[in-house]
Amino acid sequence: MSNVRTTERTTAVGRARTVLARRTEGRAVALLVVVAIVAAVFEPVVFSSFPVVLGRLALIGLVALGLTALILLGELDLSVASTLALSGVVMASVPNLGLGIIAALITGIVVGLINAFFVVVVGINSFIATLGMLFALRGAAFVISAEKPVPLENIDAGIAFGSSLLGPLTPRVLLFFVIFAVLQILLSRTRIGREFYAVGGNRQAAIDVGIPVRRRLVLGFVISGVVAATAGIINTLELTAADPTAGSTVLLASFAAAIIGGVVLTGGRGTIVGTLLGALALSILQVVLTLSGVQVDIQDIFIGSILLVAIISDPSSLRTAWVRLRAAITRSRTRDTARGLTGNAADQ
Amino acid sequence: MAKPTFTESIGVVAPTSTELSTGARVIKFVADRGIIAFTVILIVYAAIFVNGFASLPNISDVFYRAAPIGIVALGMTFVVISANYLDLSVVAQVATSAVIFIGVSNQAGLAPAILLALLVAVIYGVVNGVAVGFFHANAVIVTLATTFVGLGVLRWLSGGSIFFGPNGGVIQSLGQAKVGPIPLSAIVLIVMAVILGFVLQKTTFGFSIRSYGSNKAATRLAGVRTGQLVVGAFLITSISAMVAGFVLAAFSNTAVSSMAEGYDFQALAAIIIGGTSVFGGKGSVYRTLLGVVFVSVLTNILVLVGLTFGAQQVAIGVLIVVAVSIDAIARKLVKN
Amino acid sequence: MRVSRITMGALSIAAASTILLSACSSSGTAGNNSADNGKKSYDVYALLPQGTDQPYGTTYLPPMKAEAAKDNIKLTITNSKYNADQQASECDVAVAAKPDLIVLWPAVGDTVRPCLAKAKAAGIPVTVTNSGVNKADVSLTKGFSGPDTYGQGVASAEIMCDITAGKDVGILVVNGLTGNSTATTRHDGFADTIAKKCPNVKILAEQPGNWNKDDSKIAVSEMLTSVGASKVQGIYAADDTMVAGAIDALKARGIDPAPLFITSIGNTKLGNPLVVSGELDGTVFQSSSWDGQHAIDLAYSVLTGGTVKDQFMPSVKVTKANATDPSVAPEW
Repeated sequence: MSNVRTTERTTAVGRARTVLARRTEGRAVALLVVVAIVAAVFEPVVFSSFPVVLGRLALIGLVALGLTALILLGELDLSVASTLALSGVVMASVPNLGLGIIAALITGIVVGLINAFFVVVVGINSFIATLGMLFALRGAAFVISAEKPVPLENIDAGIAFGSSLLGPLTPRVLLFFVIFAVLQILLSRTRIGREFYAVGGNRQAAIDVGIPVRRRLVLGFVISGVVAATAGIINTLELTAADPTAGSTVLLASFAAAIIGGVVLTGGRGTIVGTLLGALALSILQVVLTLSGVQVDIQDIFIGSILLVAIISDPSSLRTAWVRLRAAITRSRTRDTARGLTGNAADQ
Repeated sequence: MAKPTFTESIGVVAPTSTELSTGARVIKFVADRGIIAFTVILIVYAAIFVNGFASLPNISDVFYRAAPIGIVALGMTFVVISANYLDLSVVAQVATSAVIFIGVSNQAGLAPAILLALLVAVIYGVVNGVAVGFFHANAVIVTLATTFVGLGVLRWLSGGSIFFGPNGGVIQSLGQAKVGPIPLSAIVLIVMAVILGFVLQKTTFGFSIRSYGSNKAATRLAGVRTGQLVVGAFLITSISAMVAGFVLAAFSNTAVSSMAEGYDFQALAAIIIGGTSVFGGKGSVYRTLLGVVFVSVLTNILVLVGLTFGAQQVAIGVLIVVAVSIDAIARKLVKN
Repeated sequence: MRVSRITMGALSIAAASTILLSACSSSGTAGNNSADNGKKSYDVYALLPQGTDQPYGTTYLPPMKAEAAKDNIKLTITNSKYNADQQASECDVAVAAKPDLIVLWPAVGDTVRPCLAKAKAAGIPVTVTNSGVNKADVSLTKGFSGPDTYGQGVASAEIMCDITAGKDVGILVVNGLTGNSTATTRHDGFADTIAKKCPNVKILAEQPGNWNKDDSKIAVSEMLTSVGASKVQGIYAADDTMVAGAIDALKARGIDPAPLFITSIGNTKLGNPLVVSGELDGTVFQSSSWDGQHAIDLAYSVLTGGTVKDQFMPSVKVTKANATDPSVAPEW
């Protein structure tokens, strides 16, 4: 009934509503607004130092971008943090900076291809294949680096890389937005992008309509691997050394950014913009907390609480909870019927 | 319906189809036996070629390695089977339980310590379970969030200190107790496996968890209270993590909030190596136990032959992928 | 739909930037170099890689905060949990906040040059605590206070050399967390000194114990199996928590640890009683309260323009002879 009234009243509002209902970024936007308001009230310094926020965004958001493309296909990559560490170590182990960067990128491509091989050719689940790679690649980073940080031969190049190009724009931030733009265009403007959504939404249907599912999967893993390797290169340059223990928080931070941004882990739903907004909300939150000088334990409690509230306060989550709660109440009234049904299920 | 990959689709068989075709039975046989074969080959190889592997003290060490992580993995199997990926908060849960077990029992005795740890475990299980089961929130983020909150609270309240039990105290003697070469902790592991195996295979709850994991919508339509199911799965995980905390604390007679780091993904690795599907529905507690034995024996061998930590990680990672690949290829061959 | 997607994104970005800008104008009013009880007050950022997540950090923080309160220093403490890129980002935050000084405990020594360079460019002095920076970077800092981590490894090795007295001895080595800089530096100090001063001591096997008692206990037990328990006459562990695990492992096999040559580093509440009982032959005292207090002490000297000198925590060897001395009372 309300639907009818809306469409009758103004088409613009009606259209906006349907658009909003179709969007997946609602949670990220809500979190971003809440975090921004809290920041504006308690720690306004964060806004005058927004280059710092951008830097943090590029740090925790970069790997998440590549991961998002893969998640949209309905696959996961748990090896991104290890790929980051390994490619950094490979890069720093090559004396020539240019060759090192190339070697690191090749590492990312090879890791992506290996992951894709196990998933597409051998046919094991990506969760398992990349879990194995999570251990193996981290181990390889330790072996190659002899368990110590590998300093760059050319430290000055690293320092130069870390400094600003123009205002708040450091090469890291620039690269972040370039990769964001490339993936955004790829996923929202091209046929390949539409196929990514199709493969993630319903794989069998995608096969049936003749989408080259295998090739798309390989591309997804390579994107994830290359973006992780790029993050490894940027880290190594900015820190002037490759640390084999690097990226310990990258994996979970990337998943958090993507999921808060509305990307569904089973594939087919979500956007790169969502991941960007999720990562932005998390970065502002972290920077605000650091600036606040609150005891670190309390900061952790705060971050955890915000994450929890953000993930359960999604409109669809609240709707589900309400439906289940109502069902639970109704069912306790007619408990006998419910028991009968459960019994049936057990017999099937 | 959870989305299967190419070959995973054959794994999403209804859990208790009583009448299997011959082909399906063969597939099931191979899939079940793959990890046993690997474990047996590994043990036989090590007994012949690795010096000291078959000695009594070393058998104890394998059990010591297996017990705490194994108990966590047994419980977490329920979360994985219910198609909820994993419970990251087990790290915080094990550490909290260990700190309470030693810290509180130093002050107020063992019984209050156990009661408090149980209360905390129930809180973890209910919060995780309600958020995932009733609010339909993603389990990875929910348990990541509870990890942050849990470790924050633990460090805030306990001050982050290291706690140790008195020399010759009850906890220390529990940690040192053995039956032959088998430590008490391993007996706890086996008892937990028997109990949890019974719950998963023989009870309505266990059946519902498995059917929920393979087909959420159908299970809900069948009238099963799916919200309560998920809470149940997370409660079993948190109670197991509590027991693992006791075992770990007793083993070293110390507890500190940084304990059990890496238990989240190590437990997941054991569950997956055992053959439990991350898409839910398929798997068993007994498979997880095998996975735990496999990983513990493997790690033990790698230390015995003197590999560095990095090389150990490479070997474990590669073997996870190889073991699962051979399993997948065998199933493909059988299917054709 | 495509247009609306862009509109949607633009809207949210616009909303965020509106708040950004409005807040921008309201900031900058907070100046807090106000005189308080006659003393000048200072803003200091302390970028640490551990805190209450580690027992050492737990006992490091209170004396640090107490000293800061005494000197009218407002401390903002971070904890990067040994994550170098996290610490680099925290350093950016600190530089942007323009404090009077930054106290840096490097998460990974090789990675702090950019942070030091940025602070220098912003005119913010940096002092270093606990773990030193590379030689080439020392000129970018105002001073160092803390333990001589390499020297601790050396001191522990010297105890080992003394007690073995030229005998041919095979030992097991338990290291800290793999890749951790303190673990690596202590190991190098120990191994270098053994090779130079008492080559009679042979390292038979080594494994990480991850700073944990439980991990160390299993690792030592397995190493005993692999090299043969009868060939092992000594153990070095990189800290007291792990050496306690090693001694437990020996006892679990019915081996009396007293006749074995065992050394470590720390002199903690777990290790000190073992020295007193004679099971642990020697350890090297690292005082977390000295460390935390001197970090601020040094910072205060820099802030007030006093004389600034690097302050090294003395690597006091603790053996049965002095283990009950009040000057080496364990702290955690």
